[in-house]
Amino acid sequence: MSPILRVVLIIGALLALSVVVRKVRKSKIRIADSVYWVCAATLLLVLAIFPGIAFFFSGLLGFLSPSNFVFVVVIALMLLKLFNLACDVSRLTDKVEQLSQEIALSEKELSDKD
Amino acid sequence: MRVLAIVPAFNEEECLANTVQELTATCPDVDYLIVNDGSSDATPRICDELALSHIDLPVNCGLTAAVKAGMKYALRNGYDAAVQIDSDGQHMPEYIPAMAKAMQDEGADIVIASRNLAGGGAEGARGVGAKLITAFIRQTTGATITDPTSGMRMYDRAMIEKLAHGFDLAPEPDTIALLIRRGAKVIEIPAKMRERQGGTSYLHFMSSIAYMARTCLSILLFQWFR
Repeated sequence: MSPILRVVLIIGALLALSVVVRKVRKSKIRIADSVYWVCAATLLLVLAIFPGIAFFFSGLLGFLSPSNFVFVVVIALMLLKLFNLACDVSRLTDKVEQLSQEIALSEKELSDKD
Repeated sequence: MRVLAIVPAFNEEECLANTVQELTATCPDVDYLIVNDGSSDATPRICDELALSHIDLPVNCGLTAAVKAGMKYALRNGYDAAVQIDSDGQHMPEYIPAMAKAMQDEGADIVIASRNLAGGGAEGARGVGAKLITAFIRQTTGATITDPTSGMRMYDRAMIEKLAHGFDLAPEPDTIALLIRRGAKVIEIPAKMRERQGGTSYLHFMSSIAYMARTCLSILLFQWFR
């Protein structure tokens, strides 16, 4: 794991943390939704500060380089979030459809009463 | 002092009627509003048939949104205080007058019904979680909230306004901590609570980890920036 990768990871994680904090402060993201990003950034920070962890797991799983393990972790985190987002979008789509139907039906009820 | 009891209800067909009956029998002066949070069981039918005071959210929005809807109702109808009462019957309405009196006498913004002050309190993993939250709130605000996870909280007019319009102000311990830091006066009165009478809790075991993560992160990190 090259020193440059470690520095980039640290800078990236700190940048991500500051962006999350700024968004919470400006009421652009709910705290419940920010938990994932704080945890993910902290995980990358830990991997960068303690390279021994990456060495241990790349040896265990048979990766040629510890940096490959870090990349796999980042990709896994992204896939996880992507899938969760897909689930959230499905749920939201369903709710918006139901709300539209409710509004349409109650407007009809109201106009029928007049 | 006009008090509104906000009763959020999600799939509570088993105990909702009993809870409301007890509420109206014990505290005839207290108005109530059931917020049916998109229940899929007989909850909305029970509300209609018994002509209970209620609003129906067309889809399930979660406890925070349900309570927020109740706060908006309290604000628009000019109530002086709003108290959250769980529909599962664990909160005893006989404490509502005592809470209102404590709010007036001590000029408090928020009154919490504390199980710990009455010698009870959550046990097991929940008890540990609650103690942790108490310690975090004491560290960050200096105030001691013996029962931060008690759902039975009374809010005065100023707090109702904040909860009705604020972004991400859940009726949860982290909001209490934030409001204390913003200058709200929070007091507790001793209160007993019953075991849940039925139905399913908002806090299942799996979601309790997410709950603790959110609450702790909010109190320890985001409180300083909001």
